[in-house]
Amino acid sequence: MSNKNKGKEVIKIRSHKRFRIKRYLTVYRECVKVAFASASTYRLNFLLNCTIMLLGDIIFPLITVLIYGSGAGFKGWTVYEVLLIQSIFTMSTAIADMTFHGVMWVTMDMVRNGNMEMVLILPIDTMFILMARTFSFEGIGLFIGGLTIFMVALFNISAPSILMWLQFIALFIIGVLVMLGIALIMAAISFKWIGNSRIPEIFGSIRSFGKYPQSIFPKSVVFATSILIPVAMIAYYPAAALLGRCNWEVFVVILPCFLFLLFGIYLYRYMIRLYQGVGG
Amino acid sequence: MNTIRKNLNILRAVAVVTYKEWSAYRTHSMVSIWVGPIYFIVQYFIWSAAYGGKTQINGMDLAQIITYFGASTLIGYLTMDFADWNLQMLVRTGKFLTFALRPIHHRFFAFSQKVGHRVLGLIFEFIPCYIIFTVLFRVSLVPKYIGWTILSVMLAFLMNFYIHYILGMTAFWFTQSSGIRRVFDLLSGVFSGIFIPLVFFPQTLQKILFFLPFPYMSYVPVMVFTGDFALAGIRMDIPVIVGIQGLAVCITILLSEVIYRASMRRFNGVGA
Repeated sequence: MSNKNKGKEVIKIRSHKRFRIKRYLTVYRECVKVAFASASTYRLNFLLNCTIMLLGDIIFPLITVLIYGSGAGFKGWTVYEVLLIQSIFTMSTAIADMTFHGVMWVTMDMVRNGNMEMVLILPIDTMFILMARTFSFEGIGLFIGGLTIFMVALFNISAPSILMWLQFIALFIIGVLVMLGIALIMAAISFKWIGNSRIPEIFGSIRSFGKYPQSIFPKSVVFATSILIPVAMIAYYPAAALLGRCNWEVFVVILPCFLFLLFGIYLYRYMIRLYQGVGG
Repeated sequence: MNTIRKNLNILRAVAVVTYKEWSAYRTHSMVSIWVGPIYFIVQYFIWSAAYGGKTQINGMDLAQIITYFGASTLIGYLTMDFADWNLQMLVRTGKFLTFALRPIHHRFFAFSQKVGHRVLGLIFEFIPCYIIFTVLFRVSLVPKYIGWTILSVMLAFLMNFYIHYILGMTAFWFTQSSGIRRVFDLLSGVFSGIFIPLVFFPQTLQKILFFLPFPYMSYVPVMVFTGDFALAGIRMDIPVIVGIQGLAVCITILLSEVIYRASMRRFNGVGA
């Protein structure tokens, strides 16, 4: 093949990729519009669920406030520093609820009902379309609640530098990716452990380690929550960045986070390949 | 006497069927064998760190609070209830009509179901977690007054059932009462002492809680288990608080009956 033809082939592949990304973005935008229309139609239900989610997730900060209010506390951590961790956890959960947590429930439901092939025959990536279709605005109340506590905590700690903010943003995004990895692993498990609505409880219990300063846990637990199932990245490490407590450890922990996400994606795709249906 | 025997036979029959039905999904219950101890470990580290060098916080020492969370988890497995979900589903789908026509009170039927379901909980949740807590974590989980604890847990069992049944009856008015149920679950989680002992709340709130059903669903049996009850700065002997819990259960039963009669006057159904 001449250099000219090779060049044309590369341009063709690039334009095909651009078209594919554009198509995926259009699909996602349409799904968001449908989610918005649905939330607008069932306004009361939407508002009620937003409120309940908000109230539900401010329990943990409440417990922290009660512990500190009674004169106790975690050594080396002020109440606002702990609240900072928990507010970041809440915001991360809210983003996950809005964007990809639905994939677990919808996969579980479709596998149980035997209509997964209805999605598999679509000319689009299965994981992507399930995430897009389950986009939900209900997490917005939770996000606002988390953001409010975050602001309160932020005003009561020393102002972070620009570098700290950049570190925080990067680590926060990685934390959300860990949440995605967890959601995909849960969804993958639901292919085999059919109809068990308590699967999220298993991972919820593990995630609860990420809501508190890691210094209160023994080293073996910190190793597990930082390397094996890196739930500490969801809130603790981003908060540590804002508090100027970041050290070399954080950079060591980043790699396991990406590996964890890749494992989640691989496992989910693998389980999809194993799925067998008989006509939906 | 014959009526009692007949009712006991019905209770046993429904409980056995429910037990067998749910046994098919026993791994659903067995998730607790993982979840319960993990949450307990988290609580252990939180409170160990929170106490630091302190011997007592709000009148509770560290050992007592660890026992509190262990007992709270275990008692939760025995008293857990979802009668509200069931009843709401029956009303919304119209299936309640078939129960209204049966020669058995639906509430008694639901209660018998709960007995069967919780026997399953006893075997697949309570006993394994008790062994993990005592053998693996070495937490002392022997009630100080076994008789009073059993009585208090039985009252909490009834309290949970009747309160959830009342919640389920809201479906006769609202049809879709999932929002109310979620709000209640949230409130009961906080105010029944599942997340944190009630003595950590402000004094005024603790006083108000005496007149609400929440403490009688979890906090009271757990404190009876530990053998030392205090709320709102009032320390009570165990027989006294169990007596108050019994009174609260009686009031709830009466309330449930009143609401049930009102519900039946409201209920319409066709095509059984």
